[in-house]
Amino acid sequence: MRYSDQSDNEYSPVKATVTTRLHIPFYASLIKAGFTSPAENYVERVCDLNDLCVTNPEATYFVRVDGDSMSGDRIEKDDVLVVDCSQEATEGKIVVIWLNGEHTVKRIHYAPPLVVLVASNPKYNPIYVQPDDNFRVFGVVTYVIFKPL
Amino acid sequence: MLGLVDCNNFYASCERSFDPSLIGKAVVVLSNNDGCVVARSNEAKALSIKMGVPLFQLEELRKAHEVKVFSSNYTLYGDMSSRIMSILGRYVEDVEVYSIDEAFMNLTGYESVYPDLAQFAQDVRHRALAWTRIPVSIGLAPTKTLCKVANWYAKREAEHNGALVLDTPAKIEQALYGFDVAELWGVGWRYAGLLKRNGIRTAAHLRDMADDWLAANMTVNGLRLAHELRGLKCNLIETVAPAKKAICTAPSFGQVIPDLDLIRQALTTHVGRVAEKLRKQDSAASAITVFLHTNRFRRTPGNGLAAKQYYGSRTIELPHPTASTAELASYAQAALTAIYRFGYHYQKVGVMLTGLVPADFRQANLFNDGPDDRQVRLARVVDKLNYRYGRDKIRLAAAGYDPIWHHKQQWMSRRYTTRWKDILKVK
Repeated sequence: MRYSDQSDNEYSPVKATVTTRLHIPFYASLIKAGFTSPAENYVERVCDLNDLCVTNPEATYFVRVDGDSMSGDRIEKDDVLVVDCSQEATEGKIVVIWLNGEHTVKRIHYAPPLVVLVASNPKYNPIYVQPDDNFRVFGVVTYVIFKPL
Repeated sequence: MLGLVDCNNFYASCERSFDPSLIGKAVVVLSNNDGCVVARSNEAKALSIKMGVPLFQLEELRKAHEVKVFSSNYTLYGDMSSRIMSILGRYVEDVEVYSIDEAFMNLTGYESVYPDLAQFAQDVRHRALAWTRIPVSIGLAPTKTLCKVANWYAKREAEHNGALVLDTPAKIEQALYGFDVAELWGVGWRYAGLLKRNGIRTAAHLRDMADDWLAANMTVNGLRLAHELRGLKCNLIETVAPAKKAICTAPSFGQVIPDLDLIRQALTTHVGRVAEKLRKQDSAASAITVFLHTNRFRRTPGNGLAAKQYYGSRTIELPHPTASTAELASYAQAALTAIYRFGYHYQKVGVMLTGLVPADFRQANLFNDGPDDRQVRLARVVDKLNYRYGRDKIRLAAAGYDPIWHHKQQWMSRRYTTRWKDILKVK
């Protein structure tokens, strides 16, 4: 919670964190009027998006896309990526990488001894990671959150 | 066996966690209101930047050596801390959060689960590093004091690779033989002086002193310390005299509790307790973290299946440092409301106060140059006047009394994990 922050007051006093939960009521069966609901005994815990997207909260971070290099994978500017840092960046995964001073999202390929970072937008050339590059893997993209137009 | 996990240069590491360009550079983190240095990376230490140095003294170094300066971002540090603590909780049930960046793990009873302790320690280190990008050092030993010793070596001597296990008398002997008593946990400058005057220079020497001598010269605390060095567990927590970097209270509930009202009552009690600790050490807190979790090992009565789990935590930065129970409690309740989820059987609610500053913080800059007697005397006169005529009747004009003075944090990094508009951007 922040009070009286610099210029913006539009933020609600409660912060969003990885523990924020979105509840979507889920019914095991339809309820018919007039009868005692036969579903009563089958009401389950509501579906929680975190169960789906954030399986490992300690290692999960959200990042925002600021470019169009992955548009071929339907990752567009301003989308939010769910990144799991506990997963191995194995061949062909979409990963967030630190490369020469900035974080970037690309598909990773291993062509020993080289690591190749491939954009899915044909406008961008593949990046061959050089030995003297400052390169480190941040985490693996597990979900993409976007708002349809 | 016990373990001590300590995050290396925690605040600086949190900053690096989301900005790898800081790796290899001198990083310092400033106190509230950008007053003085409260945390340093190894590179900053190598430049002989001391703790508590006021910012203006750094200006030259800042330009000459490219020291990266940050305002303290307690929201970020609190979240990263709770991630680390939560990771430790995946290994063992008993994790004692000792401060924002240190925790003890109780490995008793896990001998068959983790037969190779060195391997275990490396596993914890790798996981913490991969998941949070924060390097940790680990010391494993039979007692907390020995854990501290082990951790001291693990952190400073590269050959240990960040983790040292003291599990045999020979290893313990070797570790204590060269260990300066002044570095021992709970030995303050006064005891350090006393010990040196008596020719006791190493931890091994202190350990081998007669109990009579220890009891007579160092009270029961010294006796406990020696016992811990001999491998006998004693509760040493209360003997730690220096002001803590964080204060935490999180006793488990006697039974699992699903009810928000009961949790509220427990939380209010905890807040009362930590606020009391806070005032006792003349500090005020700048941030409060509330966490709430279920029992990882609980099985649902009846079907014996693992019970569903929940771990929530929230850090609130306070608009100004405070030690007021009422004020802290209201923020704690707001945090609890935000993290509470219906339908779980909770085991524990805890509260941690971080960003501790001296209670007379607004005058802190006055004293940073070291104890200037005149200033101290002046402060006493001011205190007396204020005592007689009302609080803050006399105060420093430069320090101001603007309740939103924390705006001065001009080098605050983003709150990468707690605000949507601050999350990391990727190209």
